[in-house]
Amino acid sequence: MSATLEQPASSAPSSDPTSVIVETRNLGKIYRDFWGRKKVNALKSLDLEVRRGEIFGLLGPNGSGKSTTIKLMLGLLFPTSGRVFVFGKEATDVSKNERIGYLPEESYLYKFLNAEETLDFYGRLFDMPASVRRERTEQLIQMVGLQRARRRQLKEYSKGMTRRIGLAQALINEPEFLVLDEPTTGLDPIGTREMKDLILKLREEGKTILLCSHQLADVQDVCDRVAILHQGELKELGRVDSLLKVQDTTEIHASGLSEAAKQQIKQIIESQGGSLKKMDNPTTTMEELFLDIVRESDQRPGRRGSGT
Amino acid sequence: MQLYPEQFWTYWEWLIEKNGLRDGLFLALILAVIGFLVGLIVAVIKHGPGEGFLNVSRLIGQLFTVDIPKLSGRRIWAIAKLAIKESIRKKVLVVVGVFIVGMMFAGWYLDQNADYPARLYISFVLTMTNYMVIVLGLFISSFSIPADIKSRTIYTIVTKPVRPLELFLGRVVGFMTIGTLVVASMGILSYFFVVRGLYHEHEVVSTDPEGRTGETSRVQRHRHTFTLNESGVGQTNENKGHSHIVKKVGDKYVIEGPLNDLTARVPIYAKELSFTGRDGEANEGYNVGYMSEYQKYIEGDSLSSAVWRFDGISPNLFDKAIGYDMTISAFRTYKGDIVTPVGGIIYFRSLDGKVETERLSFKVKEFQTDRRVMPLKVKGARKNKDDKFEPAELDFFKDIAPNGSFEVVVRCQDRGQYLGMAAADLYLRPNDLYFFWNFIKGYISIWLQMFIVVCFGVMFSCFLSGPVAIIATISALVLGFFGFFVDDMLKNTSNGGGPVESLIRIPIQSGSTVDLDLGNPALESGIQAVDRTLVYGISLLKNSVPNFGKLGTSDFVAYGVNLFGGLLGRHFTIAFGYFLLTCIVSYFFLKTREMAA
Ligand SMILES: Nc1ncnc2c1ncn2[C@@H]1O[C@H](COP(=O)(O)OP(=O)(O)O)[C@@H](O)[C@H]1O
Ligand SMILES: [Mg+2]
Repeated sequence: MSATLEQPASSAPSSDPTSVIVETRNLGKIYRDFWGRKKVNALKSLDLEVRRGEIFGLLGPNGSGKSTTIKLMLGLLFPTSGRVFVFGKEATDVSKNERIGYLPEESYLYKFLNAEETLDFYGRLFDMPASVRRERTEQLIQMVGLQRARRRQLKEYSKGMTRRIGLAQALINEPEFLVLDEPTTGLDPIGTREMKDLILKLREEGKTILLCSHQLADVQDVCDRVAILHQGELKELGRVDSLLKVQDTTEIHASGLSEAAKQQIKQIIESQGGSLKKMDNPTTTMEELFLDIVRESDQRPGRRGSGT
Repeated sequence: MQLYPEQFWTYWEWLIEKNGLRDGLFLALILAVIGFLVGLIVAVIKHGPGEGFLNVSRLIGQLFTVDIPKLSGRRIWAIAKLAIKESIRKKVLVVVGVFIVGMMFAGWYLDQNADYPARLYISFVLTMTNYMVIVLGLFISSFSIPADIKSRTIYTIVTKPVRPLELFLGRVVGFMTIGTLVVASMGILSYFFVVRGLYHEHEVVSTDPEGRTGETSRVQRHRHTFTLNESGVGQTNENKGHSHIVKKVGDKYVIEGPLNDLTARVPIYAKELSFTGRDGEANEGYNVGYMSEYQKYIEGDSLSSAVWRFDGISPNLFDKAIGYDMTISAFRTYKGDIVTPVGGIIYFRSLDGKVETERLSFKVKEFQTDRRVMPLKVKGARKNKDDKFEPAELDFFKDIAPNGSFEVVVRCQDRGQYLGMAAADLYLRPNDLYFFWNFIKGYISIWLQMFIVVCFGVMFSCFLSGPVAIIATISALVLGFFGFFVDDMLKNTSNGGGPVESLIRIPIQSGSTVDLDLGNPALESGIQAVDRTLVYGISLLKNSVPNFGKLGTSDFVAYGVNLFGGLLGRHFTIAFGYFLLTCIVSYFFLKTREMAA
């Protein structure tokens, strides 16, 4: 590659920052110990885009590098190789944080504050005046349903309540872009449903959402697009519906076929030793897709998924 | 307590004439260059030369283009408030309780028989406050950021639009709010402890038949004697550093509370101390062979004299008389009569020598400060047209010191004996200032020390774990304390030259007492110039860590010497310098640290 091509590529995002919120290019992260020795190769040359207005799911089993990716995007970690741009800016640029909300994998909040104090504190970090802070605090406490616990210290909160105050904290600045690390982990089925409804509602309000999860069933019905990571490698990337379509299987549901035609088909099937039930391209579940990927990747490590 | 002339420089004198500002700026420059080079080396190792240089320049650029301009008071205060809450939650304020307990048991270690109980009391509370506050500062500051990183609450902070400097400033402001609270409480408690502890009343136990002189009862292990004047008012002798006013009202004696033990003298030092020899010629003073660094001597029964010159003394400072304190020692060349003290005379005279006060004789009070006064209306002598002295009634500020300048002359009267003195041994003592304010200034000084500790603690905690940050801060303080070793080392460069010159001398086996001879004068002076620069740089560098030995001011308060505004101003400036230094170092470490690693 010539130097002239490389120059803009390494110093600025290649795509239009109005429609692409996050862009990672060849992003890699190796965790090192104090002496600089390599410990874990947590992420290997990741390329992806999060587009404006979508819910993007980053999926993968535990330890596959999801949180690492998110922390790289937020500037909590520095990449070993490659680059991340958020809103067209470097991940280390503090001013991008004005437009971002982040719910960490566990709610790392000050346990000795109560819900109101917590939201007030984070509101101050956005330099919000007192009246705005009060209003936002009120709204968010209603929204996440913590009215009854608003004056209780966070150390008394259950896991579900902690998640909710964490989400409220991430929304204090009405962010355009919301990053949720495992938003549903630890929630009961009702809590999970509520969280997902909230996420959908936020998307309706025009926010872009990046969420990551290892509980695939939980997110398959909210995500528009997903990326599947395994051992730090991107295995699949694409729209949820197309990923779930199993291309080399045929499922036939038919109508308006003549008996003869049906017989013919049936015969063909029977001559092959099968029996016809339905005729179609079936969808699989996320769970199955996922297990497939893991299996395949264990057999042929390093192979990159082909989905689009 | 030893006072040094440099402690009496005015603020501007220190800043400009004594190069305080210049040295500070040079130190900043040296540190900036060192910091830049170290940063560059690290960045180049990490990212390669091009990218590394770019990173470093971007980091510096952002400090001035965004990270300083975008600082927000609201964010800083939010972080400060959190630090305060956290400290209170950790029961930091318990130290005030410990302090109270410490005072309750003070009786155990305060020597009741001390000659100056006030000094002891004041030193005790100031020292205790000082240590407790520094240790407190050390602990709260060193653990703060590491705790946030450990609990990962830092994730939710740095993903908000919080600037690295705000993390530092917020913590410093928070901890200093706590610190102010603690220092103020300890100050108030200490003040009452000292005042109440020293207060006592005597009664009169015996008088002479006329009731003019008498003796008081024994209270707090001492008693006084007193003499009253015609109108029945008088003062006791000084014992344990204080005296009492005694009044006779009817048949009864009223003795007031202690006087003069809690005060703030405002010594005014002479601009210059000069000497004349036995025949009246100017000399450096005589050297009696021991301890001569500090004091010089004048010879008895000769024209040998010590002359202090005072300049710019305002009449407003003195009401009825010029008070002055004198601490003069005697050196006896024969010891025949050891009981009779050596005598001297003292008088004040105008700069031109044409007017002088009468000569007052005194006896040397060894190791004691002689408190004396020179009345403003005074008998003396003036030179007439024939250059002969004629007796005259003098008005001090009109005749002796018309523009505020005059001289004080001391001579020794006893043949074969010597009197020793240094510039600081005689000072004017205008009306004392309030002990209360001096006490507060002492506490402000402690506050400043805590401020420096907190700045260093937070700075180290930006890149070290808590315990290591504490050790690093302590090391910095210890290093600063021994900074004078560096000075000593550098002073000794007169023999054999500075670092480069000494290095060159080794291979050519040149003795350290001969001048360097390389056969090329330009080269030699070049080497010496490099050495001077190096030595200057090193002597500045030692100031990059604070010297608490020098920043301590408790002696001023304890010994009842006014803590000069100029000195406190200097300490403020120095503290501010450390604040800036730690700010910048913290900025670079926070900015380049991976918070989630
Ligand atoms: N701070 C760290 N130091 C060393 N290794 C880490 C660190 N954080 C994560 N890892 C390792 O990196 C890999 C990816 O971790 P992570 O991104 O947290 O996975 P996920 O969020 O997908 O569960 C894991 O093997 C994990 O052990
Ligand atoms: Mg994770």
